[in-house]
Amino acid sequence: MSTLRRDFATREALVAYIAQEFPEATGPVSPIRGGRQAALAQLAAIQPETYGDTRNYLDGTVTRLSPYLRHGVLALTEVRDWLQQRRYSWKTAEPLVRQLAWRAYWQTLYDQWGDGIWEDREPYKTGWQPEDYANDLPGDIPDASTGLLCVDSFSRELQDTGYLHNHVRLWLAAYVVHWRRVKWQAGARWFLEHLLDGDPASNNLSWQWVASTFSHKPYYFNQDNLARYSRRRWCEACPHDGRATCPFRGSYEQLARRLFPHADLHRLGTRR
Amino acid sequence: MPTSIVWVHGDSLSPTNPALATYPSAPAVWVWDDELLRAWRISRKRIVFIYECLLELPVEIRRGDVVTEIRAFAQEKGAQKVVTTSSPSPRFQRFCRELAQTLEVEVLPVPALVPVTPGMDLQRFSRYWKVAEKVIYR
Ligand SMILES: Cc1cc2nc3c(=O)[nH]c(=O)nc-3n(C[C@H](O)[C@H](O)[C@H](O)COP(=O)(O)OP(=O)(O)OC[C@H]3O[C@@H](n4cnc5c(N)ncnc54)[C@H](O)[C@@H]3O)c2cc1C
Repeated sequence: MSTLRRDFATREALVAYIAQEFPEATGPVSPIRGGRQAALAQLAAIQPETYGDTRNYLDGTVTRLSPYLRHGVLALTEVRDWLQQRRYSWKTAEPLVRQLAWRAYWQTLYDQWGDGIWEDREPYKTGWQPEDYANDLPGDIPDASTGLLCVDSFSRELQDTGYLHNHVRLWLAAYVVHWRRVKWQAGARWFLEHLLDGDPASNNLSWQWVASTFSHKPYYFNQDNLARYSRRRWCEACPHDGRATCPFRGSYEQLARRLFPHADLHRLGTRR
Repeated sequence: MPTSIVWVHGDSLSPTNPALATYPSAPAVWVWDDELLRAWRISRKRIVFIYECLLELPVEIRRGDVVTEIRAFAQEKGAQKVVTTSSPSPRFQRFCRELAQTLEVEVLPVPALVPVTPGMDLQRFSRYWKVAEKVIYR
């Protein structure tokens, strides 16, 4: 009989049962809880007033609703309605509603493209060809042994908690695709193993946006950007800080010349 | 004897999802898609999260081949109809087509945040947002 159990006194009992029933699914368990009750508690705690100004900072007031929205535990319209019912002005609500719309947008494209979201939607604008990118993720990235404090910490957080801040996803994806020159699909598959909100549409199309196969130019960053939005959390203790060995050090123009030597610099929009 | 069952899938894990809300007394089922779990190498933390969602839903939890398990559940309950909630996933849509060979299938839509109109420009988010921002908030 293929019916699974529902009677668990504790989370530990549930986790032990899952370990026994799904032995191939390994790794730690996230502190983030599933369920409608947890979703509603998370919704009640959102801070729309400060969201817009702080969302790019790692200590900003992002909602962390993504695992619930991804699995339909909470509908996108419920979050929008919650804001409307509390009479938040459009000016206050707009930044958050816009991010909700990103999810709706990716879902609409998924509906039209189906498994085509796994294919490059457009050519890379990096000056490199698809065959210049490696097929597989280098082992030091999931092993968190690149020696870069920031990247190794992002990798561990992904695998330990199943959640990453949007800015961290952008940095990590850019590192994989542009610094290590790995196909975005390899990074996307890795994220889907671990993200509690792992969703083929939002995930793959965001990776394509970083890679430039679904955008006008590649997304990349420099140390100033990472240090600013993380408030130097990793740079402070990193042996590469202030040295040429930090691969993110330099202006956008310098990095573009190094990462994309065959690309048209003007098209890369290096003036940020 | 009920004539319908509800199939709850991974895009609709709310007790208020349209299928459960419209058919509150129909027996409901969830099926762990063993093939998908393997192919995507889904980690333990993702399974725990989804399982915790399921424990708040009135569903029987099964595993295996999704279409086979839903058919078996429908037969046990004497149902001729499967009710579920829409999803853009091509895998979901394939399951619905397969189920429709032997059962009636009703797919209820999820309320749209942004109504998509024919001919809407989806080339870039900026163009989509120009249309969306006018209708998304009242
Ligand atoms: C490489 C990469 C991979 C990503 N993979 C996923 C994924 O698998 N699943 C996923 O839901 N999001 C993904 N995102 C988008 C975004 O990073 C997360 O939705 C967001 O960080 C979740 O945190 P939050 O709930 O605190 O977001 P908030 O900033 O509080 O936003 C509220 C909600 O809006 C939606 N949202 C916000 N930003 C985006 C965005 N850029 N694209 C789509 N929806 C968005 C999410 O549902 C989110 O919960 C990815 C982004 C990148 C750059």
